[in-house]
Amino acid sequence: MKLKNYVKPASLQETIAVLKETEGPVTLLAGGTDVMVYAREDDRYADHTVVDIFGLPELCGIEETEDSLIIGAGTTHTEIERSPLVHQYADILAQACRTVGSLQIRNHATIGGNIGNASPAADSFAALTLLDADVEINRLGEVRREKIGEVIARPYRTTMSDRDVITRIIIKKLPAGTICDFYKLGRRRALAISRMTIGTVLRTDADGVVQDFRMTMGATFPRPMMFPEINAMLIGKKPNDDDIKAVAKALSDKIPEIAGIRASTTYKQPVCLNMCERILHQLLGGNN
Amino acid sequence: MEQHIVGKTLERIDAWAKVTGRAEFGADVHLPETVYCKGVYSQYPHAKLLAVHTEEAERAPGVVCVVTGKDIPGEKMFGEIFVDQYAIAVDRVRFLGDVIAVVAAETQEQANEAAKLVTAEYEVLPAITDPRDAIGNEQVINPDYPDNVCGVIHPQKGDAEQGLKESDIVIERNYKTGFVEQAYIEPESVTAIPSRMRKELTIIGSLQVPYNARISISRMLNIPIAQVIIRPSVVGGSFGGKIEGAEAMAVRASLIALKTGRPAKYTLTREESIRETYKRHPIDFNVKIGAMKDGTIKAVKVYALADGGCYINMTPPVMYKTAYLGCGPYRYDHLDYEAVGVITNNVHCGSMRGFGTPQAIYALENTMDELAEILGMTPTELRRKNLLKNGDTSPTGHVLDFNEVSIGAVMEKTVAELDFDRKWEQYNKENRESGRRVRRGVGIAVSMRGASIGADGMDVSRAMIEVEEDASVHLNIGLMEIGQGLRTCQSQMAADGMGVSFERISIGEVDTSRCPTTGGCIASRGTMMGGMAIKRACDAVHKIMAEAIAEKYGKSTEGIVFENDRVRFADEDISFEEAVHACYSTGRSPMAFGTYVVDTTKWDETHREPYNTYTYSCNAAEVEVDMDTGSVNVVKMVGCHDAGKAINPAMIKGQIYGGMTMAAGMAITEDLGFNPKTSALKNLNFENYLIPTAMDVNENVALLEENYDPRTAFGGRSIGEPATEDGAAAIVAAINHALGHPGLIHELPADLDRVFFAAKSLDEKKGE
Repeated sequence: MKLKNYVKPASLQETIAVLKETEGPVTLLAGGTDVMVYAREDDRYADHTVVDIFGLPELCGIEETEDSLIIGAGTTHTEIERSPLVHQYADILAQACRTVGSLQIRNHATIGGNIGNASPAADSFAALTLLDADVEINRLGEVRREKIGEVIARPYRTTMSDRDVITRIIIKKLPAGTICDFYKLGRRRALAISRMTIGTVLRTDADGVVQDFRMTMGATFPRPMMFPEINAMLIGKKPNDDDIKAVAKALSDKIPEIAGIRASTTYKQPVCLNMCERILHQLLGGNN
Repeated sequence: MEQHIVGKTLERIDAWAKVTGRAEFGADVHLPETVYCKGVYSQYPHAKLLAVHTEEAERAPGVVCVVTGKDIPGEKMFGEIFVDQYAIAVDRVRFLGDVIAVVAAETQEQANEAAKLVTAEYEVLPAITDPRDAIGNEQVINPDYPDNVCGVIHPQKGDAEQGLKESDIVIERNYKTGFVEQAYIEPESVTAIPSRMRKELTIIGSLQVPYNARISISRMLNIPIAQVIIRPSVVGGSFGGKIEGAEAMAVRASLIALKTGRPAKYTLTREESIRETYKRHPIDFNVKIGAMKDGTIKAVKVYALADGGCYINMTPPVMYKTAYLGCGPYRYDHLDYEAVGVITNNVHCGSMRGFGTPQAIYALENTMDELAEILGMTPTELRRKNLLKNGDTSPTGHVLDFNEVSIGAVMEKTVAELDFDRKWEQYNKENRESGRRVRRGVGIAVSMRGASIGADGMDVSRAMIEVEEDASVHLNIGLMEIGQGLRTCQSQMAADGMGVSFERISIGEVDTSRCPTTGGCIASRGTMMGGMAIKRACDAVHKIMAEAIAEKYGKSTEGIVFENDRVRFADEDISFEEAVHACYSTGRSPMAFGTYVVDTTKWDETHREPYNTYTYSCNAAEVEVDMDTGSVNVVKMVGCHDAGKAINPAMIKGQIYGGMTMAAGMAITEDLGFNPKTSALKNLNFENYLIPTAMDVNENVALLEENYDPRTAFGGRSIGEPATEDGAAAIVAAINHALGHPGLIHELPADLDRVFFAAKSLDEKKGE
């Protein structure tokens, strides 16, 4: 790997100091499962200072508050996938993290790194979008929060500067009884880049009336997206076949609408239609 | 000869070194003063190479030298059979993987940097990327083959046209396959070490066929063969893939080693390995089968057109196996199988496990399923009616009266394990239920595999055995361990051949200066051909020992028996050690070579023996097909093989497990992303070229049907290639069964898109 300089700070404070002092472009190394692959392809980091923030204590771990989960940006996919807190309050994210790469990759790939890389096929994005995640960003000591959909601009581009450190991801806890489903379509069962993912969050009351419904696709749009008008389609209903079909159609119609007609659209749009319908039938079980 | 060691599951002799990381692979070789090599690739798939400019690269930091094709002092081209491949291009480039210069530097990084500074002048020529355009194209790629056709193999029996005419039903179908990569885990790495004493080179690294590499290096660098010593490292998989590719690298590294007087190490990245080394042939098939209403097959006529790519490589012998073995293990009177290999400007195609048969069996067997449906028979009913039996004549005319023709038993074992016949009916029924989105299917494929090289080549093997004074036995044989467990099997055969315990056998690492020339570990010939040579060497050593014993004990040694570390003759029963002592004390050398030449293959007007003997195989697969996505899950695979006596049952099963998984990759996911406009391959690494992972393998069952083969020394014949030749056929048949339409998928791989649109076409048809 060609780089200008490599720095491994011991704390967040030291990281910020390094970022302040460093001249020229910076690449944050938050696990390396993407950076090391790119570095092998070409010399894009030749004039970069690589700041290794993997394992920084301030960025690790998962905490809860009354209504939120706070996930350190340096938390690995394995840690998230195995976290009882995530399982209890945001299982959609646990399911999504479980499908990433291989165990070795999940052990080293961090959630913050996943956001920073901004791959359109990032498996966590559909889940983070459904959870309406806030991304906490520290720019040279100044802290701000942005929505996941605002942080990602387009494939492999974020709205952040190279002095921005993602510190935490904040998600609202899902109430008990919420059903989560994360479906990944890959070309094989491990180490597969997603062809498409579909995330669903659903809660019904005792009568089967939908209280909460969110559904969106990953690896489909240039940036993470969710559609309030589609989420609203089932709220307050005991969905029947036609309701489910309507949601599936609305979601799959978003593919040509947003991503445009591409070679892959002829495959993805009907597959999305089929799968959304099937997933909703499965999740709503006896209701229809 | 009683067999005590052969047939046992003994631990691999290399197991511990491999699992603990002590085994030294090509890239693990680190020698002082090494220079590191980097190849520069052609920018065009077809061009005259007018000039290569290396000056700037030569001035780059750390560069020791830069060589081009002009620096090769001897012959400029090499090839195992057809000498048409540049190790470094001289005046012409024929594909995007041609190397035009090699940079050697003090570090790999410096070599990589400097390689970017090499430029070249080209006169671009039209590139032929479609094999159908190649035949007779005015653009000639290899002047020795003015019609761009490099191999036509055309076995015939009876009168196929007449046979089709007389048939009640004639079916004609087209099938197609793509490029497939061997996908060994270890990318190639070789190191050439010049002798400090004389003009002599030692080459270590990942070479599957050391003897051929030695010849090429000798011819191209003007060194006597005896002064080229090849000592392959532990090889991390090969599957036929580390022959010509690794050989070209060995030539380049050797050139640099001679020029610099320093060890030259040449290691490919995965992307380079996929770019420059050969693939499995893509083949287009037109299959016609004629049958009577009762299911009796009358005639088979096939035209197969293979893309051999830019170099002839192994195309003609691959076509030989396509044609002679792609016609199936069936009884019928009329065959016309024309297999044509053409030259294009695509990546060249050559040896890969199966060698032309996985494609052919997939085409034939899926057409058989289509025929069965027309006849109203199940796949197994049609096969049961037509499978070869003892004494039958094979499709090519070979009278099978010399081994147990067990294909029927092999299929029945497979059918029973998968519960094929019941599932066939059950899934037929349940797949008709409307609303079922995940359908199940089962598929089956059968084959017979000629062991070793056929009548298209001379087949010789050699081995040397020396009994040391302490009665340990040294075996030297040049057939490579490439992961299959061969050297453990060879040691087992040597133990029984010598009549001693397994522990006495010590097998030397392959070293061309110590092991006699023995041909390659190719064509599933290692066990059979190696075993024959080992047996002959053992017999020769026994003869020497018998003479010594007769002299020392003053008794007749007629009928002497070496068994279980004992030696029995006349009324004596002495230990093996005592026998060895007799030998050395009478001044004899218990050391001998064994040479075996196959003399049972012959193919001409009257002789119809294309192979010495055959392995009989069957694979069955069960799949789930998701109609909504096109996703295929291989739920279970069963592979049953009669490879004769299993020399080491665990190892033979290991080959079967691996073979089935490899076949699944070819069937479902593996796609090199060939671009017919540019001839470039897009999927150059394992992120994009998708081989099955452990997670993709569900239940694989390996079964053996053992029948001792009298035409081999220890009863065992071939498994390496049979293990992978039926799997793709069976999986595609299973997918088509799930889709309810045999032959629906007729192009590989059956990936998400292909299966989805096939499923969709059915839905749409139903909707009409």
